[in-house]
Amino acid sequence: MEKTKMTDERNILEVENLKLYYKVSDGLVKAVDDVTFFLRKGETLGLVGESGCGKTTTGTALMHMPSPPGYIAGGKIILDGEDIVPLKETEIRKRIRWEKISMVFQGAMNCLTPVYTIGKLMTETLQEHRAFSQGEKASEFSKSRKTPRKMNKEEARKIMVKYLNYVGLSEDILRRYPHELSGGMKQRVVIAMALFLEPKVIVCDEPTTALDVVVQAQIINLLKELKEKLDLAFIFITHDLATEAEVSDRVQIMYAGRIMEIGTNQQIYGEQGPMHPYTRRLLEATPRLHEEVEELAFIPGTPPDLLRPPEGCKFHDRCDVTMEKCKTEEPDLIEVEDDHYVACWRCRK
Amino acid sequence: MSNNKYLVEVENLQKWFPTRRTMGEVFKGQQRYVKAVDGVSFKIERGEIFGLVGESGCGKTTTGKLIMKLLDPTGGKLIFDADDVTHLDKVGLDTYRQNVQMVFQDPYASMNPRFRLRDVLEEPLIIHKKGGTKAERMEMVKKALNEVRLQPPEEFMVRFPHMLSGGQRQRGATARSLILNPKMIVADEPVSMIDLSTRAEILHMMKTVQRELNLTYLYITHDLSTARYFTDKIAVMYLGKIVEMGVPNDVIDNSFHPYTKALITAVCEPIAGKVNRIKEVPIKGEVPSAENIPQGCRFHPRCPYAIKECWEKEEPVLEEVEKGHFVACRRYKEI
Amino acid sequence: MKLAEMRESFNDFWSEFKKEKTGVIGLIFFAIFLFIVIFEPFLLPFEDANTRWRDISYWEDWPKSAPPAWTNWFTSEKKSVTGTLTEYSESSQDMGAMVMKEFVFEYDYQYDDAPNDIIIHGDASGQPIVVVNIVRPDGEEIEVFQSAYNAGERTKDIRISIDNSSRSTIYNFAKKYESSENLSNVKQGLIKTTNGIFSKAQEGILRYPEPLKGEYQIKVTAILRDETDNMASPYIVLPGKVSGVLGTDSQKRDIWTGVLAGVKWALLIGILTAIVSVSIGVIYGVISAYLGGWKDALMQRIFEVFVSVPLLPVLIVLSAVFEPSIWMMVVLMAMFFWTGSVKTVRSMAMQIKEETFIEASRALGASNFRIIFKHMVPILIPYSFSSMALFIPRAVVYEASISLLGLGDSQIVTWGQILSDALNSGAVLNGLWWWVVPPGLAIAFMGMAFAFIGFSMDKILHPKLRTR
Repeated sequence: MEKTKMTDERNILEVENLKLYYKVSDGLVKAVDDVTFFLRKGETLGLVGESGCGKTTTGTALMHMPSPPGYIAGGKIILDGEDIVPLKETEIRKRIRWEKISMVFQGAMNCLTPVYTIGKLMTETLQEHRAFSQGEKASEFSKSRKTPRKMNKEEARKIMVKYLNYVGLSEDILRRYPHELSGGMKQRVVIAMALFLEPKVIVCDEPTTALDVVVQAQIINLLKELKEKLDLAFIFITHDLATEAEVSDRVQIMYAGRIMEIGTNQQIYGEQGPMHPYTRRLLEATPRLHEEVEELAFIPGTPPDLLRPPEGCKFHDRCDVTMEKCKTEEPDLIEVEDDHYVACWRCRK
Repeated sequence: MSNNKYLVEVENLQKWFPTRRTMGEVFKGQQRYVKAVDGVSFKIERGEIFGLVGESGCGKTTTGKLIMKLLDPTGGKLIFDADDVTHLDKVGLDTYRQNVQMVFQDPYASMNPRFRLRDVLEEPLIIHKKGGTKAERMEMVKKALNEVRLQPPEEFMVRFPHMLSGGQRQRGATARSLILNPKMIVADEPVSMIDLSTRAEILHMMKTVQRELNLTYLYITHDLSTARYFTDKIAVMYLGKIVEMGVPNDVIDNSFHPYTKALITAVCEPIAGKVNRIKEVPIKGEVPSAENIPQGCRFHPRCPYAIKECWEKEEPVLEEVEKGHFVACRRYKEI
Repeated sequence: MKLAEMRESFNDFWSEFKKEKTGVIGLIFFAIFLFIVIFEPFLLPFEDANTRWRDISYWEDWPKSAPPAWTNWFTSEKKSVTGTLTEYSESSQDMGAMVMKEFVFEYDYQYDDAPNDIIIHGDASGQPIVVVNIVRPDGEEIEVFQSAYNAGERTKDIRISIDNSSRSTIYNFAKKYESSENLSNVKQGLIKTTNGIFSKAQEGILRYPEPLKGEYQIKVTAILRDETDNMASPYIVLPGKVSGVLGTDSQKRDIWTGVLAGVKWALLIGILTAIVSVSIGVIYGVISAYLGGWKDALMQRIFEVFVSVPLLPVLIVLSAVFEPSIWMMVVLMAMFFWTGSVKTVRSMAMQIKEETFIEASRALGASNFRIIFKHMVPILIPYSFSSMALFIPRAVVYEASISLLGLGDSQIVTWGQILSDALNSGAVLNGLWWWVVPPGLAIAFMGMAFAFIGFSMDKILHPKLRTR
C-alpha cells in the first residue's frame, strides 16, 4: 500500500504490517500475517471472513490485548497519530483502551454479570474507566493528590442516561437485571458501555450475529445513527457479507490471516463486482432473498491449517483461476483503482 | 406403505411449559404457562422439504422436538404415515425413532466428543439392533459415509469430532441420521454454525441425499434466504403459531402477513448503496414473552396496521387465501 | 476384535500421555511403589517385619530412637552405626570332662561414639556355660561375661547383653586408670558399659572417654560339660548410636522397614477405597442428575443423611463390634467416602445432561441405561481419576486415625500406624524427625503420584480441554 494513502490526515487509524502470532506447542500460528490497512474518520470499515481467518484477532490486536498465547510480533498500529504497539500496558490502560478505541466483544451481551442491575454494572465500568482518566488529569494539575476522585452517583447517572439515550434505551433500564432484558436491549447496553469514554474508534465483533433479523436491522440502524451523531469510526467484524453491505463504507476481506481485498461498498457489491476470486465466490455463496436460484454456489475445500499454510497465495488450492505463479509466490496488496486494493496475481494488469 | 399423500399431519399441536409458581399462585391454585407452541397445524407431503421459519422463541425448535417425540405435546394430534403417534408406548416409540431422525444445529455438540465418527454412526445401529456383527455394522457405516460424500470413509471413521471441519461434522451428523433409513429427517438449523463458503455445499448435499433416498425433511431455520433456496414449502411462525404458509415464492415475493413482510425487509442483502440509508423496519420492539401472549391477534402490539378489531375480536385463523397460500391475518387484503 | 481395539485406543492414549511431563512423573512414582511391593521380600531388611512389627522381642536388639545412619555424613563426630557380626572363626578344644568351643569375632571400630551395647546371640541346648572376652587393640583383655545357661533339651536362642551384665566388670577395669577425682564423680551403676570398652585406657576413661579405634576381638567361649550341651551359630549385634536407612523409633523398630512394608497396604487401602467409593459416588451422582425431579430430590436426601453421619464415631463403633481387619475398614470407608464426589458429579452431570449429544442420543432412541453408562459416565472418568487421587491419601490418613484409636488392623504395619505411634510417643516434641517425616512424605508422594496421573489423564481424556 502506498505511503500517500497511509499517511492521509483523514485517517484516524493506520495499521502497518501488523503481525499477530500464536505460539502453540506444534509451532507458530500466524493468525494475522503482515496486514496493512487504514480507517478514515467517521467511516465504517467492514472486516469479513470465515471463522479462523484472523478478523477477531485483528480486532483484539487493535485494542492491544491479544488473547494469550498470542502476541504482536511486529508492525505498527497508529491510532490518532500515535503508534500504540510499543506502549506499555499501564500506558495503554490509561490513555488508549476505551479512551480512544473501544470494542464490543462477540457475545459480550451474554456476559453481563447476572446478579447486578444494569445500573450497577454500568456504574462500575464507568467508575473504573473514569478513575483512570481523572487520575491522569489530576496528576497533571497537582502531584499531591494520590487517589483519583471517584465519580459521585449523580454524575455517573447523568452520563449513563446520556448514553442510554444515545442507544435508544430509557432510564428505567438501570434498575433491571440482565435476564430481564431482551437480546437487542442487552446489545444496546453493551454498545452504550463502549461509548462511555467517547472513543474515536469502536471495534464491533459480530454485534448482530446472535440476534434475530428484525433486531439485527435495529442494531445496524443504531450503529449508523451513532456514526452520524458522534462522528465515530467503526470497524465492523462479521462473517456475513450481506450484513456488511448494509453497514460498511469500505469492506476488507480476510482469508487465512491475510487481507485479500479492500474496496468501497460500491466496488464490492456494485455492478462490477469484487475482483478477488475469493470475494467473488464468497459473494456468490451468500444467499439472496429476492433472487431465485436453482443451485447455490459454494467454495469446495476448507480454509488452510494456519500451522502449515500453503506456499504462495493462501487461497490457491480452493481457487478456480489458479495460475502457476499463485502456487509459489504470495501476491501483496496492490491498489488497482482508487481505494480498491486486491492481493491476487490474476488482477494485475 | 400407505397411499396417503401426507407423511406428517400436525393438528392443533400444543406445548405448554408450566412456569414456577409464586407463593400466591400456589395458594390460589393457579398455574401460568409458557405457551411455546400454541396450536400449530400443517401437513408435510412425502418427499417434501418443509421449512419452519421464525425468530428465536417463536416455537419452531419446540415444534421440531414435538415431532421428534423428544417432548410430549400438551394437546393436539400428530399423525405420521397415517398412524396417530401423539402418544406412543415404548415399542411404538422405538419404531417411530427409526423412521424419524434429527440433525442438530451444532454438529460438534451433537456428537459425543469421546466417540470416533464410526462409534457415533454405529450407535443408532446398536440401539436398534441392526447389523448382526460389528463388521456388518461397519459396512453400513461406510455406506452412510459414502452417501454424505465423506470419502474415503475409512479415513473419516477413525476421527474424533474435533478432528473434522464444520462441514465434515455436519456431514457426519447427517450420515448418522441416514443410517437407519428413516422416512423423515428433522433438521434444526443444520447450517447456521457452518462457514458461509461451505454452507451451500452442505445444503446441496442434503438436497441430493433427499432426492436420492426420497426423504422428507422438516427444515427449521431463522434464515429466510436459505429457506427459500432449500424448501418446497415455508411456514412462518410467530409466538407459537403459524402466521403464513405457502410455497417460497408466494411467501417471500408475495407475502400477506405484516410480520412476514417485516422479516423480509429486515433481511440483509449483499447489494451496494445501502450504507447511508437507515433501513425502514415496519415493526417495533421485540418478540414478547410466550408467557403473556397478547389478546386477540398475537402480533397486534407490534403490527403497524393493527386496528381495534385485531385485539378485540378473537384471533384470526390460518386460512387459504390463494391456492396453497395460507395467512392468519384479518386485514391481509387491505395492506 | 475387542482386544485389538482396546490395544489401539490404549496406544493412542499412551502416545498422548507420554507428552504430559507431570503425568510421567506420577507414573514413575507409581512404578517405584509397585516395584517396592513386588520386590518387598528382597528389599526388607527385616524379613519378619510384616508379621512381628508389634512384637517387642523381635526388635529388642536394636537401638532406641536412633537417627538414620547417613546423618554421620553431616557431622564431624562419627557415631557408631548399628551393625551385625556374623563371621567368626570357630575352634574347639576337648578337655576330657568338658569341651571348650570358642568363637572369635573381629570388630573394626572406627567411630567416635561407642555403640550402645554388645548383644550376643546363639543357639544353645543343654546347660552350656558362656564366657565372653573382649580383646582390645591396646592388648587389654577383659572378661565381660560369664554365666551358665539352662537351655533345656531343645535348641534355644540365648541372648547376652553386655550393657547390663558387665557394668561392674568394666567399672573395675576402668578404675585402674581413672583418677580418684573423676571416680568420685561417677556412679558405678550409671556408667555406660560400652564406653569403657571402646575407650582409651587412660585418665578420664569413665568421665571423658576418648575412643580407642582399631581391631577388637570378641571371644565367645562355650563350655560344654555334657553330651547334650551345645552352642552353635552365634552372632553379635552392635546397636549403634545411628541406625539403618531411616533410623529407629522409640520401640527400637526400623522405620525404613516399616515404610517399605507400608507401601502395599497404602496402595491397597487407598486404591481399593478410592475405586469403590468414587465408582459408587459417580454412578449415584449421574443417576440422580439424569433422573431429575422427585427421584433426584429423594436421592439427594439419602445422600445428605450419609453426609451428616460422622464417619469416625461410626467406624469406632463398627470396629468395636466387628473384628477390625483391613477389608472391613475398606468397606466401611467406601460406605462413607462415596458421598465426597456426589455433589460435584451431580452438578457436572446436570451440565452434560443438557448437552446436545445426549439429546441426539435420545432422539436415536437410546435407553436411559445406555445414555448414563455410555455417554455420561465416561465423560466423568477423568474427574473420577483425579478425585480418586485425592481419596487415596484421605483413606490412608483415615486408616491411621482408626489405628490411632487402637482399632486398626493389628496384623499389619501401615504408614498411618507408624505416624500415630510417633504421635503417641511425642516424636515431634523429642525431635525424632526421622520417625515422622518419612511416613508423612510417603503419604504425600503417593497422593502426588496419583494426583499427577489423574490430572494428566484429565487433560488427555477430555478433548474439550485440548487445544481448541
